[in-house]
Amino acid sequence: MTRIWAIASNTFREAIRDRILYLLLVFALLFMGFSQVLSLLTVGGEEKIIKDVGLASISLFGVLTSVFIGVALVSKEIERRTIYTIVSKPIHRYEFLLGKYCGLVLTLLVNTSVMTAWFYLILFLKGFADPRLLLAIALIFMELLLITAFAILFSSFSTPILSTLFSLSLYLVGHLTWSLHLLEERVRGSGGRAICRFLYFALPNLEIFNIKTEVVHQLPIPATLPLWALLYMAGYGGAVLATACIILRRRDFT
Amino acid sequence: MKGVLVVLLGALTAGTAAFRVDRLREGSAPGYHLLYLPSGRSLKALTFGYEGLVADLIYIWSIQYYSNYQIQDRYEYLDQIYRRVIAELDPHFIDPYLVGSMIMSVEANRDDLALKLLDAGTRNNPREWILPFQAGFLCYNKLHDYACARDNFQRAQAIPGAPAPARRLFAEMYNRLGDKRTSLKYWAEIHDTADSGYVRQVSWMHVHDLRLEVDLDDLNALVQRYRESHGSFPGSLRDLVRAGLLDAVPVDPDGNPYTLSPETGIVRSQARRLLQGR
Repeated sequence: MTRIWAIASNTFREAIRDRILYLLLVFALLFMGFSQVLSLLTVGGEEKIIKDVGLASISLFGVLTSVFIGVALVSKEIERRTIYTIVSKPIHRYEFLLGKYCGLVLTLLVNTSVMTAWFYLILFLKGFADPRLLLAIALIFMELLLITAFAILFSSFSTPILSTLFSLSLYLVGHLTWSLHLLEERVRGSGGRAICRFLYFALPNLEIFNIKTEVVHQLPIPATLPLWALLYMAGYGGAVLATACIILRRRDFT
Repeated sequence: MKGVLVVLLGALTAGTAAFRVDRLREGSAPGYHLLYLPSGRSLKALTFGYEGLVADLIYIWSIQYYSNYQIQDRYEYLDQIYRRVIAELDPHFIDPYLVGSMIMSVEANRDDLALKLLDAGTRNNPREWILPFQAGFLCYNKLHDYACARDNFQRAQAIPGAPAPARRLFAEMYNRLGDKRTSLKYWAEIHDTADSGYVRQVSWMHVHDLRLEVDLDDLNALVQRYRESHGSFPGSLRDLVRAGLLDAVPVDPDGNPYTLSPETGIVRSQARRLLQGR
């Protein structure tokens, strides 16, 4: 645990020195501030627009941060050959990977907190502050944790560019898995239907974490949904990280 | 020096090209491509969980587009933009239903489209009274389609939080449709449950006039029945009581008795109609 924490704190320090993080954060904050300008161009709907833009900024820039920083974490160590020094020390490879993951999670937590604080400042000044938005942000954070796990998995066996492509594609696919459900209803053969069903359950379903519409429109949200989303993230994320550990363990760094 | 020249040359070329393209597209509104968007349901698949934000952006664009009076044919795709794209992307976004239906009705004179949009909004948001209320008002005030207005006001007034005028307009639509008895029933309910002096006074005026008209209709019908059975008009309203057609001689809402003309068989009242001329 101490070893994981040591790597995590080191990763956090490394990540907060990354210019990409600040660039994305500044963009997110500017984008949220821009919602004020957008609301000037509309007739009604100001509150909805500010909330939509705020939540979308936290989600979108959070995803970009987790992908861009997440894919660099392991691959950079391999490229710079610093991993050779690390694996020669009495540390398990899974500890190294988990440390990297936890470090990035900490970075994302700080990042999301700053964005949330800024978002709430705008909402507060406008008189639109609503505690239910925190639930949507919590679920966005869970989504980021899952995407980070994927980014680390891809970076454990691929180049940073490919890992970025894989992770972003997976993010897009994760928001489209519901269409497999529709496809399943239209496919005639039982084989095709089975494939659709398999893919539906095998691919990450990131829509589980999407309650932005419900929160913005104050629609009812099933009380157990956040819990199931947390379990989904823990189960899926755990499996992805375990796969990344297996891949890293099999790689030859001697 | 060469580098600076290349930069300047590049900027000049790009600027000229951009200017030429703008000239080629003169007359087309900014973002006119959005008119050809597929339905919101198809578009949803491409928003990757940001359908609310995309709906906001298209709505904001639509406000700028439809307020540009230089675009002659701007009303051609109203239904597509508001009902098929924005409403399908974010069915709970209320403002596009209200603003879109207003543009359709007031600007484009397409009340059919406005009602379709408001109906879609009511189906998607059964707890929002404003949508059936606006549809009811359009039917009442512009189309003079009182049955349509009655149905929409009925929906609106049944939703918690609906303003009191929805109930009053619902009651009044029966009157406009000629069903004075039902209108009287609802106006009497409003009067009996009024929580302000203003509502009590307004509803009393309706109850007063409707009561008068319903009574006169009933009494004249009884006079006709009397004539059919007795061969002549009754001498007074007491004859209707004696004939067992009435329990007692009724009085009008002001407390004065109704009068019958034995020659014409027409029942009248001295009461003045309170809403006359309003």
